[in-house]
Amino acid sequence: MKIFKFFISKIFLRKAILGISMILLLCMANYITFIAARSILSTFQGYQETKCINQEGNYIANLDPDSDIDIDAIGEDGTQVVYDYLNKNFNYAFYTDGFMASIPNINDMEISLSYMNEEYYKLNQFELSQGTDLDFDYQFDKEIPVLLGKGLSKTYPVGSTIKIEESVLDRPLTLKVQGILKQNAYHSNYYAPNSKTYYNFSILVPANEKFIHHANIDLQWNGLMDVTILETTKEKIADLSDVIEDNLGAKFNFFSQKENYDYFNEYYVHSLKIIAVITLALLVIITCLAIWNVLVSVRLMLKDFTINLLVGLSYSKLRKIFYSYFGILSFINLMVIFAFTASNRYGCWLRKDATFVTYGLFSLIGMDWLALLVVAFSDVVIGIIIVENMLREIKKVPISLGVLQ
Amino acid sequence: MTKIIDLKIKEKIYKSKKSQLSILNNFNLEVNTGEKIAIVGKSGAGKSSLLNIIGLLDRNYDGEYTLFGSQTDHLLTSELAQWRNQRIGFVLQESALIDSLTIEDNIKLPFLYAGSEKESLRQEAFETVTNAIEIKHILKKKPLECSGGEKARAVFARGIIMNPQIILADEPTASLDVENRERIVNLLFRMNKEFNTTIITVTHDLEIANCHDRVIHLERSK
Amino acid sequence: MKRSLFRLTDVLELCIAYIFCFFLNVLFDYVKTLDLDSYILKTFLKDFIDYQPLVVLLFTFIVIVFHYQMLHRKNTEIFCRILVGDTVFNITIRYTLDCITILIFTYFLSVLANVYLNFNLTSNIYLVLIFIAYILISARQVRKHENF
Repeated sequence: MKIFKFFISKIFLRKAILGISMILLLCMANYITFIAARSILSTFQGYQETKCINQEGNYIANLDPDSDIDIDAIGEDGTQVVYDYLNKNFNYAFYTDGFMASIPNINDMEISLSYMNEEYYKLNQFELSQGTDLDFDYQFDKEIPVLLGKGLSKTYPVGSTIKIEESVLDRPLTLKVQGILKQNAYHSNYYAPNSKTYYNFSILVPANEKFIHHANIDLQWNGLMDVTILETTKEKIADLSDVIEDNLGAKFNFFSQKENYDYFNEYYVHSLKIIAVITLALLVIITCLAIWNVLVSVRLMLKDFTINLLVGLSYSKLRKIFYSYFGILSFINLMVIFAFTASNRYGCWLRKDATFVTYGLFSLIGMDWLALLVVAFSDVVIGIIIVENMLREIKKVPISLGVLQ
Repeated sequence: MTKIIDLKIKEKIYKSKKSQLSILNNFNLEVNTGEKIAIVGKSGAGKSSLLNIIGLLDRNYDGEYTLFGSQTDHLLTSELAQWRNQRIGFVLQESALIDSLTIEDNIKLPFLYAGSEKESLRQEAFETVTNAIEIKHILKKKPLECSGGEKARAVFARGIIMNPQIILADEPTASLDVENRERIVNLLFRMNKEFNTTIITVTHDLEIANCHDRVIHLERSK
Repeated sequence: MKRSLFRLTDVLELCIAYIFCFFLNVLFDYVKTLDLDSYILKTFLKDFIDYQPLVVLLFTFIVIVFHYQMLHRKNTEIFCRILVGDTVFNITIRYTLDCITILIFTYFLSVLANVYLNFNLTSNIYLVLIFIAYILISARQVRKHENF
């Protein structure tokens, strides 16, 4: 410890520029690794989620990007026909979100409302921290059972009621809190699986057939965008596609499990590979720059190192000193990345970004901690490369020459 | 009198891109405890190389070396480091000081690697050495602020602070005036007299060489 | 024996440092123009592009390290040159002009890259100004090495 303190205070800190440049290079390496790791983890998480929906016999809807639609021309009559056709001929999973409501709560957040039918709810198996599962057999002129995100649980515990002016039904409703979702429950975008919205300040509203029937065009149209037809065939789906086109003037594609996997492999796996390659290339470049930096350091501090070797420092102790020094630099960088991520996460709270706020240990969620672990591992690898290069360079110079530099 | 050094060198080769130089061919050296040996010879004869081999700074040669009764080729680098700290003292040219440390810190540098010994004993050793060498007035200065003679004495102090069994001095008086030269030599011989320290000095100065018990002439290989 | 403090390896090192920084900036500009389908890739690259000036500035630190270690290594050479008749002023001017020449050369290469990629020719100007500032600051340090 004494020797290490001596090296830090009397040798390394005397040439602080070299230490600072190493910190900056490591910071870059850590940031790149962190971002890449988090992208990959988040995509993988989203992919796991879509696997629940993307099963054999299921077809996921997608508005054809080339479809020339006139949104103003789409009316409730048209959507109603489509839903009637759906209800008569198919089992389908219905989900839509993004509807905001002003409901009083201790965090003063705008609340997001998500609507889903029973099939969707069953497929996704939401984990609850309190209460019971949603009940889809209700009368909405009475109380509608809902699930709340963790952020609302203090204001509205299980069993309490919420009175809202429902925008999709255009009438006042009474919601009864049936259960509280587990902290940081999320929903990933099917076509951008790394993009997540969190349910911490959301209300999950069960939308049964009657609810959808009475809902306005916004809910019905948005619900069609991501509808998943369950246990069906390509021929039946083709008919549905025609019905939608005839009544709404919009071309919808329905993709099977295989088509979705192929799409995922073509776009996301390919993108993930590009991300991995870019990250690796940048890490190699940064490691080379770091090696150059340490070789410069060795050149400038060689006399100091070799005089210490002359008076009794062993190479193995010097190796330990270098590893400890590098460990401190890595730790500083990990703290920087940690602080940066925590401030980003906390920023969502300050901006009242209801769909992005998360709960976590020191503001970081599981994915962030995993990514930090990956960063720590990459630091170990870079550290070994750098320290061994330093020692190799020092050993090249005989002690008797080094002291007289 | 016990044998402290038993060195048998077959040859030491220096390789450069264009050529190869072989020195210290079939060189044998036996030194007893408390002896004073001077090594003289022309430039390129291998005087400093021999000193580096004796001081375990150079293990790249063909030969056998027994020091303090142990075969040195079996020694681990950590053991070598410990011997350099406690049993061998190096007195080199005055530039072998760390410029960013004070003279006091430079002299106390071996204490860092000495393991657990009472702080008071170390301080006592430091006081004794600095008093004997008369460098108390420069302890708080940096090497760049000191004269050549002062730096040479500082290097000497660092070399003897751990009371080593062997002192290896490589041209310790090279750039010093007569007064400082005598001072260093007297200090070396005082160590030998008081503590029976074995002294091995590389020097160009024949006058100094002749004050030793034995003078070894090295010649350049043909 | 040349009057310049720079040897071929020093010139190459500084060239590579400058080229790396210019290239990084051009690369960011290029990535901004890409029309990417993939949302994942877009969000990944956005995390860098949003901080482009900061990232590039952090990497310019390698140029500071170059100047720092160069002058430290040349400390004896500077002193010896003064000893044999050169002056601190001349050495400083020569050092500054050498650095600026290398900077102009590498900037010219980056301009060629911008022309080829059809980018704004002035996108690297801010880097040139930063590097000139580094050169001027480091040139002041030459004086520190006039005494051995």
